[in-house]
Amino acid sequence: MRRERSDIIAFMGALCLFFSTIEYLFPKPVPFFRLGLANLPVLLTLGFFKPRETLLLVALKVLGQGLINGTLASYVFLFSVAGSFTSALAMITVSRAFGSRITLVGVSVFGAITSNIVQIILSVTFIFGMTAWVIAPVFMVLGSVSGVLVGLFAERFREQSVWLRRVESTYVATG
Amino acid sequence: MSRPGDSRFLRRNIGPVILFVCGAAVIPAFLFQRSVVVKLVQVIVFAVLATAAGKKIKPVYFLVMVTSITFFNVLSPLGRVLIQIGPFPVTETALVSGVVKGLTIVGLVFISLFSIRPDLRLPGRMGGMIGRVFFYFERIIEGKRRKLEPRRLIASIDEILEEIFEPGVPEAEAKATIIKTTRLGYLIAFAIPVVNWVLLLPFFATIGAV
Repeated sequence: MRRERSDIIAFMGALCLFFSTIEYLFPKPVPFFRLGLANLPVLLTLGFFKPRETLLLVALKVLGQGLINGTLASYVFLFSVAGSFTSALAMITVSRAFGSRITLVGVSVFGAITSNIVQIILSVTFIFGMTAWVIAPVFMVLGSVSGVLVGLFAERFREQSVWLRRVESTYVATG
Repeated sequence: MSRPGDSRFLRRNIGPVILFVCGAAVIPAFLFQRSVVVKLVQVIVFAVLATAAGKKIKPVYFLVMVTSITFFNVLSPLGRVLIQIGPFPVTETALVSGVVKGLTIVGLVFISLFSIRPDLRLPGRMGGMIGRVFFYFERIIEGKRRKLEPRRLIASIDEILEEIFEPGVPEAEAKATIIKTTRLGYLIAFAIPVVNWVLLLPFFATIGAV
């Protein structure tokens, strides 16, 4: 049974990498901005993955992205690790605290904002310097918009996907 | 054997571990480099190596990156004033430190791009899990060639997912393709760090003089 659960985590990790490559195809409105499509599987599995499984999925996502994009030994990887883990922790916390009273849109926006705050702090501290705070509001607005879009798609996918329902019923039962 | 001009020359001639070690050996030599000109040349060479490893480089993206890092550094004046643009003085120390910082960050990305690739196997349980992730990733990419219909997007995604991953049914293990390092590959993997460390000799000479 454990093997099956680790298998679905690995598969969701692969889905994160797939969405990450899809995102690469979209033009970026501003440099350094990301839509966050790779977070979709993380959002979709919050309901039936245990917190440590979600964190393992995030670890697989950032490591996989680092290996595929070749950014494992660069600042990009550190930004990705910091942003992804804080965002995942924020999403786990709000989804557990509010349960069914919060939609995936709300959870996604929380995650996006947390990730953006951490990445802005890192870029101000290590790359651009204090003057870069002037662009922080732009990134926060863009981050919130992308959080809403990803959350809306996740919500729709959770409602309509037969496959996700099957996965959920199989792995909730074996967890 | 592939020629050095081939877009995946490094990938065909050097195994993932040797290439990773090569990249790791270059990083300190690149970080300690103080000359802006040498650093610029190193960054260009790393970009060429990244291309030889089969990676696509977007020059505009990296130019914007160096420019924006330099711009934000120049906003905090430091050192001799070079020119005055309206109310903003462009100072020498701030400008040089901005360019060096920008080149360093972009150079590290290029080193990472040429020295790290998906077939690099990480040790331990996590390494095994990553191998599994790549196995499924390849299957998803193959599945993507089937039709994704925008009008019934979620249903068509569902069909692909159903085909690739049936919940509860274990899959066969992935087979990894092993790339062995050729003699030319060893030579290149040895030469890259050596040249970068030799370029540091003037820096060590300065320390000796102090």
